[in-house]
Amino acid sequence: MTTATPNGIVPNAEPVSPPAMATLCAALEQVLSVVPTPPAQVVLRWGDASIDVVWPATPAPPAPPAASAVPAAPAAVAADGGAAGEADGVTGDRFVLAAPLVGTFYRCQEPGAPPFVEINDVLEPGQQVAIVEAMKLMNAIEADRAGRVVDILVADGTAVEYGQTLFVLEPVGED
Amino acid sequence: MFDTVLIANRGEIALRIIRTCRDMGISTVVVHSTADRDTAAVRAADRAVQIGPASAKRSYLYPPAVLEAAAQTGAQAVHPGYGFLSEDPDFAEMCAGSGLTFIGPPPRVMAQLGDKSVVRGLMAEVGLPVVPGTGSVVATAEEVAEASHRIGLPLIIKAAAGGGGLGMSVVSDQSGLLTSFRATRAAAQAAFGDNRVYLERYLSGARHVEIQILADAHGNVVHLGERDCSVQRRRQKLIEETPAPRLAPGVADRLAEYAVTGARAVGYRGAGTFEFLVRGEQIAFIEINSRIQVEHPVTEMVTGVDVVREQLGIAAGEPLTLTQDTLTRNGAAIECRINTEDPARGFAPCPGRLTDFVAPAGPFVRVDTHAFPGAVVGPDYDSLLAKIIAWGPDRDQALARLRRALRELRVAGQGIRTTAPLLADVLDAPVFRAARHDIEMLDHQTAAVH
Repeated sequence: MTTATPNGIVPNAEPVSPPAMATLCAALEQVLSVVPTPPAQVVLRWGDASIDVVWPATPAPPAPPAASAVPAAPAAVAADGGAAGEADGVTGDRFVLAAPLVGTFYRCQEPGAPPFVEINDVLEPGQQVAIVEAMKLMNAIEADRAGRVVDILVADGTAVEYGQTLFVLEPVGED
Repeated sequence: MFDTVLIANRGEIALRIIRTCRDMGISTVVVHSTADRDTAAVRAADRAVQIGPASAKRSYLYPPAVLEAAAQTGAQAVHPGYGFLSEDPDFAEMCAGSGLTFIGPPPRVMAQLGDKSVVRGLMAEVGLPVVPGTGSVVATAEEVAEASHRIGLPLIIKAAAGGGGLGMSVVSDQSGLLTSFRATRAAAQAAFGDNRVYLERYLSGARHVEIQILADAHGNVVHLGERDCSVQRRRQKLIEETPAPRLAPGVADRLAEYAVTGARAVGYRGAGTFEFLVRGEQIAFIEINSRIQVEHPVTEMVTGVDVVREQLGIAAGEPLTLTQDTLTRNGAAIECRINTEDPARGFAPCPGRLTDFVAPAGPFVRVDTHAFPGAVVGPDYDSLLAKIIAWGPDRDQALARLRRALRELRVAGQGIRTTAPLLADVLDAPVFRAARHDIEMLDHQTAAVH
């Protein structure tokens, strides 16, 4: 594990796979390049590839979009907690849709069909946004409340774990 | 041999299985709930898949999630550990249907062994002694009353689909019979989702002695000797040892012979344990456990056999390399189960975070645990924290080492208590040191004190 502070990267003594760490560092650079204030602490994990970001207490920066820049293989980034709305790095009043079961994530009803939703779509409660297939059973994934799709974190046809963040949404304003 | 094995379990047994897989160059996948995200087994496995929330029913006990994780990771075999899905014939069937090897007996054998009242009859047919009992489950108050007169008192009511010492109660007189019958059915329903019960004569003052067997797919069956598991609190084993001390002459050999006979009779495959009650020269077959057992390390310490390795070999279709002639047993081994329960508060579970955990070590001491400083002991699963096993050339030396090891154990955390002090007392008790105890000893002692 390597801990990066605002002062620089401090490598630890354990040998790590160079390509995996290089990819993680590249993704981290992307995160740092888009946020206005540097994080207080960043933790990179190599096994099961994840980036954890701790923001300083004062002005909350926007959620980094770089979660999609983290490589999906060998395993996708695992959301923290099984309940929606608790994913790392998601701040403000944004909320998430997480996989309610382990399976394969599909964005479309069937191959070749248009995706259920795209970024910037506004969802209604109960609207189907995806399918997670497990043991040949197609499970419809639905939005539990209204919101606008801000990010789609998992590629079509990717294996997902229980509780893994699939969509980042933000509340729709009152007109 | 398998390339990749999925471990459908958690805690100390998941870690223990991963270790043997490592020894054999097998890749490991462990499934886990959200509550077990940062645990020793998850850290140790090559891959981990989060399959559900903390509730075991929606994670470790939920076959579709386990099977999906196997499909995602390309595992060829599933090791179910103990508890959870390890004795579920439907799950074994589903594994087969998905092209996965279930590490355990074939589904039809598991289904047969699933009704313990029927197994009694099967074993009696091939010559194993059983206590008087009902040949099948009893469903009505009339059947219960009739059976009680035929069997005699005291008797014990047991869940037919049970295991792990749960869903049982002893009835000493007729007035308590119906109440116990209803209560045991409810307990069985809660523990196993199956309220069928059967009755058998209760053998008081007996010792619990069991035989570990291995059976491959080529007709070979060997036994690895017996274990004495008589130190129990409410039928939960706390201390187990091998060899069984102070057995009447010939009893150990008879038990082994019965177990091998019984295993052949049901077409058993894999690692299994035949449990008996022993009182003097009287032996009664009780049940078969068709999985690896918690207390298997004591057998491993005296035989040098890795039971999980044997399970993997059998499941991969290999013939046993062990033969009864070449198997030797050397010395004695004793195990203590350390649970996060508070003996001073009726053994109430004590969940919390461990601020400190130091495992004993040193000569001839083995510790199987998932605990580490900072680990969270959650409320969702059983309270087994660690198994401490000591070996010695004889029982006294094994006992001395185990006593030393217990003193080294450090477990600390807000509100965390363990049964270690109680176990230390038992190890020091004259009746235990003299091996004159039976399965009721600890319940009598703890009832007196608490």
